Amino acid sequence: MDASVVARNLPYLADGFALTLEMAALSILGGTVVGVAVGLARAGHMPLLRHAAAFYIELIRGTPLLVVLLVVYLAVPALTGQRLGPVPSAVIGFIVFVAAYIGEDVRSGIASVHIGQIEAGLASGLSRARVMRLIVLPQAIRRMIPALFSQFVRLLKFTSVASVIGATDLTGAVLAVNAREVKPLELLAFLALAYFVACYSLSLLGRWLNRRFAIAS
Amino acid sequence: MSYAFDWGVLWRYREALLGGLGLTLALSLLGLAGAMAVGLVAGAAGAGERRLPRLLAAGYVELARNVPLLVHMYFWYFGLTALRLPAFWCGVLGLSIYSGAYVAEIVRAGIQSVPAGQRAAALASGLSQWQVLRLVIYPQALRIVAPSLAGLFSQLIKDSSLASVISVAELTFVAGEIEGDTFRAFEAYIGVTVLYLIIVTTITQIALRTFRGGIVDPEMRY
Repeated sequence: MDASVVARNLPYLADGFALTLEMAALSILGGTVVGVAVGLARAGHMPLLRHAAAFYIELIRGTPLLVVLLVVYLAVPALTGQRLGPVPSAVIGFIVFVAAYIGEDVRSGIASVHIGQIEAGLASGLSRARVMRLIVLPQAIRRMIPALFSQFVRLLKFTSVASVIGATDLTGAVLAVNAREVKPLELLAFLALAYFVACYSLSLLGRWLNRRFAIAS
Repeated sequence: MSYAFDWGVLWRYREALLGGLGLTLALSLLGLAGAMAVGLVAGAAGAGERRLPRLLAAGYVELARNVPLLVHMYFWYFGLTALRLPAFWCGVLGLSIYSGAYVAEIVRAGIQSVPAGQRAAALASGLSQWQVLRLVIYPQALRIVAPSLAGLFSQLIKDSSLASVISVAELTFVAGEIEGDTFRAFEAYIGVTVLYLIIVTTITQIALRTFRGGIVDPEMRY
């Protein structure tokens, strides 16, 4: 083992790690916003929106992430003639992908709130939107913390796939360094360790938030 | 935007696509078998009373599932080049070790969901430790976890697409070849999307009918 290969290339690898974290943060943010919208549409009472959301969720949940990225990066540009770079394509792909899973989590979070509470809220004169905002969502979001964070951790791991379409994220950086230095074991050990630290920290944060805000059911 | 679609390209490459489909299914089935083998042992150790096996099982679960699947595959493919494993088996190993951690968590939860009193009663009525596991605990635990395992299988089918990166000629890889030959990126990738969708939806529906309960997404568990 020769750990100096990591030390020698540390600035380059650190840039890759920064890009990984940046892509993950953008996708988590975007995916949560889109996912909540999809979940609300899926749980709502407008038939067209409900069916559209259900179709979107089923479509994406039946498709591998790599294929979603390839569709965004290669297939759609073949149609429109305009290609985005690997990083924006990957982020769009991640958002489209994770929003379907988060949408489903939001739907089941909303469904977990007892119907009697909604009826009581409506009967006491609150509008549908207010019932959702003041009664349903505060409880649903707290129940969703474990599911949301397992999606976030999964997304953080999945950002590695961006390297396949040419992003120099952490995985892409390690592959580039290895092409020059040919020290696969050392570099892969470093790669695994870096992901482990990032993912495990994120999941510990999720567990802590869940303990802090959980509702006894 | 004037794009002339040519969906016939999928029909012309039908043999390559069928071959890719076969490899995708082979990867997923062997990956599932491997993940079950690893997961049953690690899950039983994780639910057991002995401290050392429990710690080892927990270490494996956390390590395996906090590292991306792609890194698992690279590890077998060019981390351990000395082994000279064929790419297909690197894919199977990667899928097995990665998904094994999820199976372990599912199995552990299943074993722990069998009330402790049953174990005590079975031991008291004279069964051996191994008989208790085989005759009392496993039959109930496996029935409880069956829907989750079905969910894991459809996850594995999707995950197996990453084997294309280490040059296994499964479905996603074939789509790349079609694109390279014909420049028909749209038809190729939308075509394989539909194929994945059909397989995954079929399996999910069969599982839903068989088990009636909801399919639990294995990624949902910490």
